[in-house]
Order: sequence, then C-alpha cells, then structure tokens
Amino acid sequence: MNKKIPQLIPLCLMLALLAGGCAETKQAEVAATPAASVQQEPSIYEGEINGVSERAKSISIIVGKGDQAKAMMVKFDDKTKGINQAKKGVAAKISYQMRGTDAYATEVQLKLAKLPAGVTEIKTPELQQLISAKSKLYLVDSRPMARFNQSHLPGAHAIPVPLLEEKQAAVLPKDKDLPLVFYCGGPT
Amino acid sequence: MSTASAGLAKKLGYTNIRVYLDGEPAWSKAGQPTYSTNEFIKNGNVVLLDIRSSHKAIVGRIKGAYSVPFDSLETALDDVPRNAPLVLYGDKEVQEAVVTVRDQGFNFVSLVEGGYTGWVKAGGEIEKGPIFNTEIKWVRKLGKGEVSVADFRKAVNGEEKDTVVVDARTKEEVAELGIFKNTINIPLDEIPARMNELPKDKKIYVHCSTGARADMAYSELVKHGYNVKFLLLNIKDAECDCEIIRP
Repeated sequence: MNKKIPQLIPLCLMLALLAGGCAETKQAEVAATPAASVQQEPSIYEGEINGVSERAKSISIIVGKGDQAKAMMVKFDDKTKGINQAKKGVAAKISYQMRGTDAYATEVQLKLAKLPAGVTEIKTPELQQLISAKSKLYLVDSRPMARFNQSHLPGAHAIPVPLLEEKQAAVLPKDKDLPLVFYCGGPT
Repeated sequence: MSTASAGLAKKLGYTNIRVYLDGEPAWSKAGQPTYSTNEFIKNGNVVLLDIRSSHKAIVGRIKGAYSVPFDSLETALDDVPRNAPLVLYGDKEVQEAVVTVRDQGFNFVSLVEGGYTGWVKAGGEIEKGPIFNTEIKWVRKLGKGEVSVADFRKAVNGEEKDTVVVDARTKEEVAELGIFKNTINIPLDEIPARMNELPKDKKIYVHCSTGARADMAYSELVKHGYNVKFLLLNIKDAECDCEIIRP
C-alpha cells in the first residue's frame, strides 16, 4: 500500500487539473489596487483555485479567462473564514485585504452553479433510467472537447460552451420541445 | 459550463431543458459506464484492455490492446499507475469490470463504444494472432509547465549552467531535511516579494515536497514573465535520486 502514496499525489494534482467544474468562473473582477483609504472595502478575486498550501499559508487562484487568465497569490491566517473550503479545482470567491505588500484572504466562499430560470436539475438515478430506457433525450456534454474525448456519458453530444455560443441553435436539435439535458464536470 | 449552455438554449427557445449538475464525476462514481471516442483511444496516452478470453483476442483485437481476461484484470493492473487512463472493452462483463477497476483506485476508466464489434464497424484498426506484449507499460506525459525528472536532476547536479533551481519549501523543512545542490530556497509565500532575486534570462525550475507548491510558484512566476518550469514529483520518490546537502 505504501508504495502507492507517491503515485497518488500526482494523481490528485492531475485530477484537479482535469476537473472542469460547472460553476461560472468566468468573471474575474481583477480588483484594482485598493485605494489608500483606511476604511477600504475588501477586494475580491473570483475564479478557480489553483492550489492551497497549508505550510506556506497561501492560496493561488486563477482569475480571468483564456489569455487573460492569471494566477493570483493570496495569504491566509487563522482569521480567514471558510478556508477549509479552499481546495484545488473548486470555483471560489476570495475576499482579501492588502496588508503591506501582501494580500490576505478574509473570507473564502464557494461559487455554486446557479440554474437559469425555467431550467430544472436532474439527478443520477433519473438520468440513468432515461438513458437505459432509450427515452427521447438529447444529452449534451458542455465540457471542452478533450474531456469529452476521454470520457463521456452514453449517447452524449459534444458541444463545448464556446461552440454553442458561436453556432447557437445550429448545433442543437431542430425540435425545440425535445428534452435537452446538459452536463459538465460537477457542481463547483 | 452546463448552466451557461442551458441558459443559452433557453434563450434560443428550447422548452424542455434540464441540467445534470452533478455531472460526469457523479455518473462515474455511481458505477455507470462512460465512453471514450475512437480518436482518443487511438492517439491518447491510454492503456487499452481487451478483457475477453484470450482466445477471442487472438482471433481479433483492437490494435494496441493488451489482452487481459477479466479474471486476471486486478493482478495485471497491480503495478500500473492509478492516474493512467484505462479504456476497456469486452462482452457483458465489461460493465462489472468498470466498477472493479474504479474500486481498485483507477480514476480514468472508460469503455469503447460498441465494444470490439463497434470498433470494427467504425473502421478502426485491428490486429490478429498470438499476443506478445503482456506486461502493461504506461508512462505519464508531462503536463503544462512541468520539467522532466531527468532535466531537473541535471540542473541540481550543476550540468545546466543556464538554469536556477528554486526550492519552494519552508525554511523549517529545509533546515530539517536538507536541500538539493545548486538550489536556492525561496518559500512559496515569499515568492511574490523575492522574485526579483531571480534572473529573467535563465531557466528556472521550482520544486517543493510533492509538486503542489511548486505548481503555485510556477503560476506566479510565469505571470511575471519568467522562463519557468516545475517538478511534479514527491522528492522522496526514488525516481528523483538527487543528491541532498544535509544541514
């Protein structure tokens, strides 16, 4: 058993790298340098947590998208609220303050996916039943193509979000009353 | 991602939209099968396993597949790294096999759509005849920003003159466990303040104890325009084999 431990470490990292969560990590208020005022509001970073180090008391969080994406380092201390929620790969909102030249997290909150109005959630047993009964259903995998290629649900169609944004209804079924089910890599 | 797509579909006039928020990880965890595309099976760095009887595999198997009948599966996979993506195909027993290997600790397990016949129908390449490759080999490919262990070892041995090695562990860890040769210690939390000590015209390799902090330091340095890579390896791993200067 012991020899498996070193193997598990890169595995965990890799899993986190590959996990494409569902929460909107899209915007990235890259907070401006706080003003010199004493009563400043805490600034905020929103994005996917890139890593957490207990030893260095530091969190690295990716803010911004695509070429604009940047990893920001934030320190934490015993007073940081919700720090145990901070895990590699989750979408989070970190409130922080500047103390000298260092950013310190005051609170870490998870960003959970929100359903658009008029859209309902489906759970595993029901989806499983629909798939095995070959019910009329158009199942869409919204993750990046590479993740779809590696592992997707039976019968799923690959429509990464950018593709849907570009092609719109052209990549979806003609029948607008056909049940559509979208999925990705999990709730956060 | 799925919620963004659902919102878009709603705007486009679709009337019956649902989101499977728990997503692919929950599906796998519930013991349900997932599938790889044939393209991924052919070109991805996967371990492809034919779990039918070896008799069937001799008659015809997917090119590059290892023949590992279901009852010998667990033993055959004993020494395969758990982060190796496994792709299985077989007859009915394949559904059970997915659960077995996931329980064995493999996190990337998927199936061939339609099994062997599905592959043949789709025009995939096959091979026939006796099976010679019996020992499963799989080597992880380096991820973004990773330095190979061989290059890292050269740098700490002083064989790469244009490279600076940074140890991102704490001062306490270094004091207790020692440090590699030709390495400077800048703890992760001091990187933002001290990165000006590092040259921009040289390569920088960062390591820590497992690779987690090195990865974070890499992200920070890359953002500031450094030519940097990190070591994703537990430095206690025998593979590292780098000389340590004891305190």
